[in-house]
This record gives sequence, C-alpha cells and structure tokens, in this order.
Amino acid sequence: MAQMTAQAAPPTASVADPRSPSPLQRFLHAREASTFLALVVLFALGTLIAPGFVGTNNFLTVGQQIAQIGIMAIGVTFVIINAEIDLSVGSIYGLGAVVAGLLMTSDVAWPLAALGGIAAGAVAGLLNGLMTVGFGIPSFIVTLGTLSVYRGVTLLLSGGSPISLSSSDPNVAEFNLLGQGKLFGLLPMQLVIFALVAVLGAIVLSRSRYGFNTYAVGGSAEAARLCGINTGRVKVAAFTLSGTLAGLAGVLGLSFLSYVQGVTGTGMELVAISAVIIGGAALFGGSGTMLGTVIGVAFIGVLQNILNLRGISSFWQTVATGAVIILAVAADNWLRRRSGRR
Amino acid sequence: MTSPATIAAPTTAAAVEVTGLSRHFGAVRALQDVTLSVPAGSLTAVMGENGAGKSTLMKILAGLDSPTTGTVRVDGNEVRRFDPANLLSRHRVALVPQELALAQDRTVAENVMLGVEPGSRAFPHRRRIDERAAELLDRLAVRVDPRRAVRHLDAATQQLVVIARSLAREARLMILDEPTSILSPAESDRLFEVIHSLRADGVTMLYVSHRMPEVFALSQHIHVLRDGRHVGHWPTAEVTPDTVVAAMVGRELAAEFARHDTPTPVATATPRLRMRGVSGAGFTDVDLDIAPGEVVGVAGLPDSGRIELLRGIFGADPVSGGELTLDGTAFTARTPRDAIKARVAYLPGERRQQGILPTMSVADNVNILALNRRQRFGLLRRRALRRDADTRARELRVKTSSTAQGITQLSGGNQQKALLARWLSIEPRLMLLDEPTRGVDVGAKAEIYRLFRSLADEGVAILVSSSDLPELLTVSDRIAVMAAGRVVGVIPAAEATEEKVMALATGAHTMKEKA
Repeated sequence: MAQMTAQAAPPTASVADPRSPSPLQRFLHAREASTFLALVVLFALGTLIAPGFVGTNNFLTVGQQIAQIGIMAIGVTFVIINAEIDLSVGSIYGLGAVVAGLLMTSDVAWPLAALGGIAAGAVAGLLNGLMTVGFGIPSFIVTLGTLSVYRGVTLLLSGGSPISLSSSDPNVAEFNLLGQGKLFGLLPMQLVIFALVAVLGAIVLSRSRYGFNTYAVGGSAEAARLCGINTGRVKVAAFTLSGTLAGLAGVLGLSFLSYVQGVTGTGMELVAISAVIIGGAALFGGSGTMLGTVIGVAFIGVLQNILNLRGISSFWQTVATGAVIILAVAADNWLRRRSGRR
Repeated sequence: MTSPATIAAPTTAAAVEVTGLSRHFGAVRALQDVTLSVPAGSLTAVMGENGAGKSTLMKILAGLDSPTTGTVRVDGNEVRRFDPANLLSRHRVALVPQELALAQDRTVAENVMLGVEPGSRAFPHRRRIDERAAELLDRLAVRVDPRRAVRHLDAATQQLVVIARSLAREARLMILDEPTSILSPAESDRLFEVIHSLRADGVTMLYVSHRMPEVFALSQHIHVLRDGRHVGHWPTAEVTPDTVVAAMVGRELAAEFARHDTPTPVATATPRLRMRGVSGAGFTDVDLDIAPGEVVGVAGLPDSGRIELLRGIFGADPVSGGELTLDGTAFTARTPRDAIKARVAYLPGERRQQGILPTMSVADNVNILALNRRQRFGLLRRRALRRDADTRARELRVKTSSTAQGITQLSGGNQQKALLARWLSIEPRLMLLDEPTRGVDVGAKAEIYRLFRSLADEGVAILVSSSDLPELLTVSDRIAVMAAGRVVGVIPAAEATEEKVMALATGAHTMKEKA
C-alpha cells in the first residue's frame, strides 16, 4: 500500500451545468411531495371508509370549513418562514370578528365594518412585529403575551355578552353574503376568498422581492442583514400580514354565523400553525411554501371531514389532528434522511 | 484496554480499516470505493480539496452518517450501527469537529463530563465532576476554571475542552477535522503539543487538514482523496508536499502561488478609501489609505481588531469616530445597505453563520444583491435571474451540478466562490474580505488569488484580513499589521516576511526596542 495508487479520476462534474432535473424529480424532491402523498392516501382512505365522502357537495363543504383556517395559515406561513411564530392569531380572529360585529350593530355600512375588523387585525399584527423587533425578544414570548392581551381586549369590547346580527337588516343581509354566499350559486364565497388570498400569497412569496427577502431573513438573519436587507422591516411586515389575515378570517366567521362572542377563535392559532407545519415549513425558518400550507390545510380539513362522516366525536378529532402533526414531521424527517437531502 | 499482545506489534495492527466504502446522495457520489487503514498509534492525515469527500469519510467514522456500501472495522471489530453514541462508547472513536458543538452556557466541567458524569445518573456528583474534569484538562495543560461557562472561553480553549471530552470517554481514536483552522499560530503550537502528548499515551489520530506544514510535521502517513476516490497514500517521510498537492488537485500548481512582489504603482491621486483616526468597538485611531487597484492585507492576531475594522467600514457595526472618504467624498455606512449602495463589498469570515443563506439555492445566494435589475411589475423574473446566476457561477468556476442546488450542498471552497460571485454583481469599488480562503482547498485558493489580482488590475481596491500569513504575503501590495486595536505598522509586500509581520502583531518588536 505504500506506493502511490493514483489513478485517473473521471472528469469532474461540469461547471454550473444548465440542465435542470426533470419535473418528476423536482416534484419528488419538493418539500410538499410527502404532504401531498399523505393527502392522496387520506383521500383514498376517505373514499373507502367514509360514507358520502366522494361528491362535489361534500368537497365544497370541506372547502367552506377550511377557508377561515386557511386564510390564517397563509399569514402564519410568512411569519414561520421568517423563523418567528405567531401564537396570537386565534385571539386576533376574535378581535376582528368582535370589532366588525360592534360596527355592524352600530349600523355602520357593512364594507366599512368589514374593513374595521380587518384593520383591527392589522394593528394587532403590527404591534406584535414592532414589539418582537423593537424589544428584541422572541416572538414566542411576545405573541404568547398578546394571545392573552388581545383576547382580553376582545372580551372587554364585547362586554362579555355575545353579539348577534339580525338578518332582517339589509346591511346585515349583504354582509352575510361574504360568509354564506355562493359564487355562481355553487362555490362558497369563503372558499373563493381563501383561494384568492392563497394565490396572492403564493405570488408574493415565490415571485416578489419581499418573498425572497423573507426566505433570506428566515434562513440567516445576520447574513441577510449583511446583504443590506432591513431584517426588522421584513419581520414586522410578516406579523402585520398575519394579523390582517387573521382579522379577515374573523370577519368571515362573523359573516358566516351572524354571531360572535368574546371567546370566539380560541385555539384556532394551533390549528393554523399545525397546517403550516404539516405543509412542510420548518420552525427554524427559511423554508416552506404556500402550496405546502394549502395542502396542509386541506389535509386537516379532509381528516376532520372523514372523522365527521364516520360519526367520531369531535374530541377524538382534536386528538387526531395533534397526532397527525407529529407523524407528518416525523415522516418528513425520515424521508429526508433517507434521500440524503437536507 | 489494549492487551500486551497487541502492543507488541503496534505498527502493523490497524486501528481502523475502511474497506470499499461508498456514500451516495442521490446521484452525487461523495465517496466511491474508498479503502484505507490507519495504523494503531499513528497520526494519519487525510488530505483533499473541498468536496473531495474528507468530511463525508470523517462523518461516517464518527457515526454521523452511514455508508451506502462498504465496511469499517475499528480494532478488528466491524462497526454495525453508525451512530455517534455507538462509535464512541463501543469503538472509542471521537470526533473533534471544525464547528465546536459545546453547550455554551454550561460549565467547562459539565461539558467535559457530559454523559459520563460520576455519581448516580439522575443526580451527578458535582464536586467529582469538577475534579475529574480538572484532571483531564490538566493532562492537556489547559489552565481554565472548570466551573466557568464555556461561552467565556476563546475558540482555542473550547477546542481543547472538546478534546478533554473525548478523553473523558476514553477515546482511542480521535478524528481532528481541520483543527487549526480556527487557531492562531501560537494556539496551533499549543494544540500540537497536546497532540504529541496524546500520541505518547497511545491515542491514534486521524487528522484532516489543508495545511501542508503541519501535516508534514505531525503525520506518519498521508492519504489523499479526490472527487470521492482514494487517489494516493504514502508514508510521510517518503513524499514531498508537491507530490501531495499534485495528487489533491490532479495537476501541478506551483506557479499559482507565485508571490506578488511587484507593487501596484500607487496613483498619487485620490485614494479609494482614506481613513483618519477611525475608531469603533475593537479598533482605535486607524489611519490607512487604499489606492484603486491596490490590495492591502491586514495582519494581526484574531483579537487585534482587524475583523472589527472591516465590519466597521462596512457598517455592520457602528464606527464611533474618525473620518472616512471613498474616492474623495465623505463615506459613513450606518448600515450594510449604505455600504452596498456605495458599491462596497464585505465577505464575512464566518461563512456559515454570516455569509451563506443556508436554506436558499446557489442561484438565490448569488443573486440576492442584483434582484432589482430583474424585476417586472414588481415581480422577480425567475428565469432571467437563474441565467444570471449560471453566468456568474461559471465565471468563478463554482463547481455545482446546477445553480438550483442548495448552497449548503456545496463544499466550503465552492460556497466561498459563490459568495464572491454575489459580491461581484454590485461591481464593487472596494472589497472588504475577512479570511477569504478559510476552509478553502488549495485549488480554489489559487483561483481566488487570481481573481483578486484581476479585480485589482481592473481598479478595485481590496482590503484583506487574514490569519494566514503566507496568504497575505502572496496577495497583498502592502500589509498593515494590527495589534490591540491599532495599526502598528504598514510594510510593503516586497519587504514583508512572516517574521517581521509576526513580530509586529505579537508586540515582539517593542520588546526588542526596550531591551
């Protein structure tokens, strides 16, 4: 073994090879692939075991049910890719709904009332961002605090009593179309709004300068700063977006039920965050996609729907949703380790 | 542990035997059919360019990765389960990684004894932990309070803490992965003494490094990997550095490192960067001019303030006083954004933490500073950007299967080239480079030096801070030496020697003057 065993090595990989992997390879390597496959499996399962699962009506019902969570999850996606977290979206949902409700009961024109609810969410989100960046404390702490603060404000505003909108009021009737209306008499308006928000979110995230900066900041805030990115502004914008969309979801909730309480929206933050995580975003930041989040939201919706159709109690549904988060992340981890990709 | 029978034939017994080892990541062959052995009690060096497969091999030997095919035997026993705990406790193999993984807020003793605490498992015996750790640190001649938090130690001492931790686990084979890359020359010498004393105790060492002098001073055997294959093996006494380098790069390189001794004629006109009395955290009262087309090296110990000076000029950290002008106009970067707008580039020394955007592709990493040129209706033109990145990556010969690849999948040298491509996209007037070739292999190093030279020829002013003195002597027109935050001397490259620079950097010259 002492002698030189040099041998002609094959030519090294070509420099900056312009070839791209095939679409199939790209799909299999995409982070969404495993979640999507899981959704397909769940669909197959639903078809087999849940009576009435297959059918346009049922699918549209699922769409209706996931719309509000989905809208929230889109905002949360931006926050999580920034390597932050927003635990307060459930409370902001309640805040947006109650503010819109109070405006409606004060006979404010419905578009203004809706905007008021959304604006309340935007302000709440902006404050989350300013506190996180300004005080330099983890957003987990800030939004854990505002989870409680915003809920308290919501309870104070509602005075502890529920707000009901009377559908005999034409202003309310028009407002209700947002949550109860159907486009072309078929597509639930909420689902249409969710789809619009998702498409816009996807474009911003994958094609805009802001989206690019979001991945950069989430991946390494210091490297991004040294590239001239105002990291604080990127984060504050993400929190504001998250708050705004949670406010919008709350307004839709009010429009759907014509009814809101101070405690409305409690716990929704966990479902929204779960959807984002199931969709493949990493809590370390820097990765995740809008498509992944939408698939994650659909997964939770379909799972609950199947359990509903099988007549399984909602308590078990809560258990199942939690178990799925753990399984999803574990499976994704396992797959990535096996394929050697990071 | 070792029986007398095996001690009788220490040179023939192999502590580690690697046979037909391959590791594939999808289509990428990180290791291909590597066979080599590490004699017990030896210090065996593994060399190779970045991306040659050294890290993958070390990871497998430490149980951080598992091979696709092939076997590893340690002291004759085949390794069946590749995880760090198994390799450490069963086979007594310990890794001293490049990036030290210590619990920063725990004490030295807790870190050293982690997992092998004396006393009961639930309630370790505090005093005995401290005592045992102190013993081990003593053996390495490290003077540090075992009850101090690791956070307060410098990198060199932290590294010794990691070595002490391996000793606490009674490691018989230590893998040292580029141990001197984070050390100053004096600290490296201290490490070499530790290595000698450990070898005297019979510890076998596998040593990964790019640095020829230390490999030739320390090792008995040298193995070379290239493109995942084992391409050479010699007893150190029977080989020359030139032969090893040739095996590493697959070609002769000698000419690439020709020293740059002809100083660039310094125009008497306005300097590109002029500093007068510039102060900030870590540096004081710095006067220095850099002409267009000039390469100025900044030498000094890691704590001399040279790193902070570069960050200050770039606006990464605040400058508290003094005057800076860029091409004759006042220049104060309050943020990196200001500096970038003035076409000032900064390559940080901590590539992994501050340079790369770890979750993004090579293309995105290269493009981040040039996005506004490829926007339409507020949207990024992804395809045009991709082409831009391909072009830039090709110009700097970034070795990657595709620029859509994640940046972290590239070797250190190629990551660095990608970052240089990033900064060239702003067509810099002034480049501030901190440790531009840290963890970069010889081949890439030569390319990077050539790049500096051609940039300087185009009129770019370059300020290079480095702890690698031969590097500074190679690339610089002048060398500014810093010590304790001040510039203590500026030497033209033609007159500079390592001794002169070190004398200034360590303050040895002031000792002579006083004597």
